Amino acid sequence: MSLNDTLKNLRENGIDEAKRAQKLQELNDLRVNLLGKKGPITKALRGMKDIPAEQRPEIGTLANNVKKDIQAAIEEKMEELNQKLVAKKLEEETIDVTLPATKNNQGTKHILNQTIEDIEQFFIGLGYEVAGGYEVEEDHYNFERLNIPKNHPARDMQDTFYLSDELLMRTQTSAQEGRDMEAHDFTKGPLKMISPGVVYRRDDDDATHSHQFHQIEGLVVDKNISMADLKGTLDALCRHVFGPDREIRFRPSYFPFTEPSVEVDVSCFNCGGTGCRICKYTGWIEVLGAGLTHPNVLKMSGIDPNEYSGMAFGLGPERFAMLKYGVNDIRDFYLNDVRFLEQFKGVN
Amino acid sequence: MKISVNWLKEYIPVDHTVEEIANKVSLTGIESGPVKLGEELTDLVVGHITSVTPHPDSDHLKLCQVDVGEKEEIQIVCGAPNVAEDQYVIVALHGAHLPNGVRIKRGKLRGQESNGMICGLDEVGVPAQYMPKEFENGIYVFDEPQTPGQEVYDLLGLKDEMVDIDITPNRADTLGMRGAAWEIGATYDEKPKFTKPELNQDKLKDLTDVTATVEEKDLVPDYLLRELKGIKVAKSPLWMQRRLWNQNIKPVNSVVDAANYVMIEYGQPVQVYDLDKLPQKNLTVKLAHDGDKLILAETDKSLNHNDLVITSGDEVLGLAGIINGTKAAVDENTTNVLVEAGVFDGARVRKAAQRHDLRDDASNRFEKGVDNGIVSEALVRATQLIDQASDAKEISKEIIGNYTKAQPTVIKGSIKHINHLMGLQLSSDEILQIFDRLGFTSELSGDAVTITIPTRRWDMEIEADLVEEVNRIYGYENLPNTLPAGMETRGGYSAKRELSNKLRDALLASGLDEVINYSLLNKQEVDDFNILNSEYTKLLHPMTEDHEYLRNSLIPGLVRDVAYNQARKNDDLQLFEQARVFDRVTGNDRPKELPFISGAISGNVIEDAWNSDAKPVDFYYVKGIVEELLTYVNADAQFSFEATADYDNLHPGQTAKILANGQMVGIIGKLHPNYQKAHNVNDTFVFELNIDALFDLNTRNVKATSAPKYPEISRDLAILVEKDIENGQIIADIFSNGGKYLKDVKIFDVYEGKNIKPNHKSLGYHLVFLNPNDTLTDEEVEKAFTLVKDSLVQKFNVEIR
Ligand SMILES: [Zn+2]
Repeated sequence: MSLNDTLKNLRENGIDEAKRAQKLQELNDLRVNLLGKKGPITKALRGMKDIPAEQRPEIGTLANNVKKDIQAAIEEKMEELNQKLVAKKLEEETIDVTLPATKNNQGTKHILNQTIEDIEQFFIGLGYEVAGGYEVEEDHYNFERLNIPKNHPARDMQDTFYLSDELLMRTQTSAQEGRDMEAHDFTKGPLKMISPGVVYRRDDDDATHSHQFHQIEGLVVDKNISMADLKGTLDALCRHVFGPDREIRFRPSYFPFTEPSVEVDVSCFNCGGTGCRICKYTGWIEVLGAGLTHPNVLKMSGIDPNEYSGMAFGLGPERFAMLKYGVNDIRDFYLNDVRFLEQFKGVN
Repeated sequence: MKISVNWLKEYIPVDHTVEEIANKVSLTGIESGPVKLGEELTDLVVGHITSVTPHPDSDHLKLCQVDVGEKEEIQIVCGAPNVAEDQYVIVALHGAHLPNGVRIKRGKLRGQESNGMICGLDEVGVPAQYMPKEFENGIYVFDEPQTPGQEVYDLLGLKDEMVDIDITPNRADTLGMRGAAWEIGATYDEKPKFTKPELNQDKLKDLTDVTATVEEKDLVPDYLLRELKGIKVAKSPLWMQRRLWNQNIKPVNSVVDAANYVMIEYGQPVQVYDLDKLPQKNLTVKLAHDGDKLILAETDKSLNHNDLVITSGDEVLGLAGIINGTKAAVDENTTNVLVEAGVFDGARVRKAAQRHDLRDDASNRFEKGVDNGIVSEALVRATQLIDQASDAKEISKEIIGNYTKAQPTVIKGSIKHINHLMGLQLSSDEILQIFDRLGFTSELSGDAVTITIPTRRWDMEIEADLVEEVNRIYGYENLPNTLPAGMETRGGYSAKRELSNKLRDALLASGLDEVINYSLLNKQEVDDFNILNSEYTKLLHPMTEDHEYLRNSLIPGLVRDVAYNQARKNDDLQLFEQARVFDRVTGNDRPKELPFISGAISGNVIEDAWNSDAKPVDFYYVKGIVEELLTYVNADAQFSFEATADYDNLHPGQTAKILANGQMVGIIGKLHPNYQKAHNVNDTFVFELNIDALFDLNTRNVKATSAPKYPEISRDLAILVEKDIENGQIIADIFSNGGKYLKDVKIFDVYEGKNIKPNHKSLGYHLVFLNPNDTLTDEEVEKAFTLVKDSLVQKFNVEIR
């Protein structure tokens, strides 16, 4: 057999063997055996000396090509086997993604504080300062400065926990009004504040009453404050809290520290105003009380009611949250059952 | 008060539905709701009983033949004791609907046919407690003949429609039909028309046998009497009775009813006295003597010197403005009567009514005020009504105990200012027209208006009141929506509140749920965690022992929450609260209000799951939360933990004070096992931090440094040390000897027990050295490391392992 034919045979057999290989080791062995220094190709080339000189380059080229072709066949097969291995590994690593997660829980902010902060953020955006006030307050600020002298019938409406003749648990966050007005420097611009916090009344706790609850008082005093400003502000607030399609309406009411005084209703967010159980089939839900600051209240803080006017409003976060989320019992807010608390994660 | 639409129609033309009226009144004046009585009632007619015969098979049942306006009389079996021939009665025909879903059907009663029911008032919807006494145990019988077959609803007011107004305390002017007519009339632009009551001139006499005296003229600006002689007490006319029972007032007799009727009509309470039962022919209004007695039908009231009373001779007849006793009550035998109309001080009446638990229709009106411009007229009206139903022989002129001429209020205002406060630009005509609708008279001079307010609107005092009247009648729905348009302001939280928010967010991120607890605790709870060592702040008049003291710690509330949840099988809990505690110093009434942030963690912090084993909370888990929290204080301070056994309800071996630069800012620890047992909670760790104290440390200024460019070198150190030497002491010593390049020391192993000699423990530390400006050499590190080891051996007698 000519050298030429020997090389061609080696190529054919080599490629064939590579294709038949099942393991990477077989391919490695094949490479060493066939293409190594002791391999049959090298051996065959030792017969070159018997070949006429003019044919030697041709045979040399053939021998190189045979090596390349076998090498290529081995590499191709190796790649194929490698892919199979990866595929097998991936299959082995496949998991059940429906198994439960490893818990990484954040806590839940109390729904009342979520409600309060949502309202705070709304007013901060309108340039209101947030003032905390005192929970133990003087009769003077809680009542007298709000145009509620001793013996005023309005004191009946909010039975009070007294600590002494002059000290009490504040019954309303409006108690902060007098303090804010006397502390404010009107040459620096208008007074715009909200005062959120805890208030206390001598009520028996039941589904709709609590001896402790929250309020947010709002107060703006400037030279041009009007009922229309009050309506616009509360309209925007109610849309923010209850949804962009809501409307509000004012109904006349009475508070000793505002005149005029109004109750504010929001169109029912459940039925849209057509009437349902939540709005007692009126289409409207009472959400807060408001009014223009009573001239006496301004005067007692040294503010001239002929020059300045004020608007004030007071709202109840418990009521807001009860309405918005359908909470039926105010005591749920204070029992702190984590199953109740955690349902509100992320609502605001 | 419920405003009957039918009654209202005597004063103003209203043809709207009661729902429409209630809605309109709510939007322009006073919160109102529609009331429709007897909507369900059907087939109730007048029946005339033509014969009554005994039931053959019953002792108490009777067979009545009744003319109900049809061709043939019907037979009805009736068991009422007062049924009799020739009575005009209420018949519920076959098929009639009565209140509470009762349906009348023809049938047989003990074998006798019965084609309906003869009804009592309560059976057709008049509340039993407001029916006339004579019909309490039987059927209702009309006083006068009626047309058989006629529907009974209007005769008895059974289907009256009423506007139920829920007044605010300033609008007591509508606690009378006339005031209500003014208010409702104003909303519909209709002025009410009233007939002025007049007395029979022939009967008017100059009677001088009775006198009226007012000792407390300041408290009783008006006190007027009239005397009627020779009356014959009778039943009131049906029209008056039905109006009374629909006002929840029981008709009694022609005198008492007239007084009650005038209270509803005018809003002016009126009292009547049997003149012949008075010890003296005089009524005196004065303050009671301590220990005086007022005798009421069901009870006696012991009076004191704050009580304003009506007396005659030595006897107290009534509490002024509230209630009269039985002493001089008018009954069917009364022939001479005194009628009283007065104005009594509201605060005085309110307190007395509260003190004696006697709040009623009269005191409610005096508390809120009455129109002192109509006292005299109301008295005439009551006298007229009594005369009409009881036929007096003689009537006295007004007997005056005190009289104050009512003055209308005059309010000055500016059209511009009124508009400005509303945010509207109404013309002066529009504004004056609204005043006219309300019955106010106005004078305009340029921009200035002078408004004269009738005495019936005593709530009107200042210009702001005018603003309200104009705005509500004009309609709040017509107001534009604007925002305050003043100088721009910077809104936001106080710096302290910002810190609180930040700390709360840090705990939320650590996985703690936020709770809100009550500020008022019981005595035991303020004793349990008086870590502040403060004086307790106590309510003067607590409602329950559970809520008697202001809290001095948030921990008792958190423990309650843990107990509440664990009783419901919510065992794994991570809770925190941010709220105020009250810290009072002896001698001060007023406590300081300190913002605190506190937490309680109980149960597992890693759950028992398919890929993890449960891990219960321990001290170090909670310490980790606290340390992370303290990072957010942004403090320019060194925090440390110092073991303490000072607190009875905390575990003496697992509790530490939290110090900032050596000053206590909080505590952390495990609840004492005894306390846990008493409160039914599982192993629970708590912490409490004073935000006020942390706020003062909140001064760290960060100046950025680049991340280090040079490599770190580390050394591990294993030592054997006596058991009671704390890690904190070792670390502090390592730092003080480690030189300026010692950057970090971590403890990676704590071991005691097997293979360790008794009372000792093995500790492993990992020290990291770094020179931020140059490459550190092994020699430098080795030198520092040797100093560290030498010091530990010397100071703590450690064995280096
Ligand atoms: Zn609705």
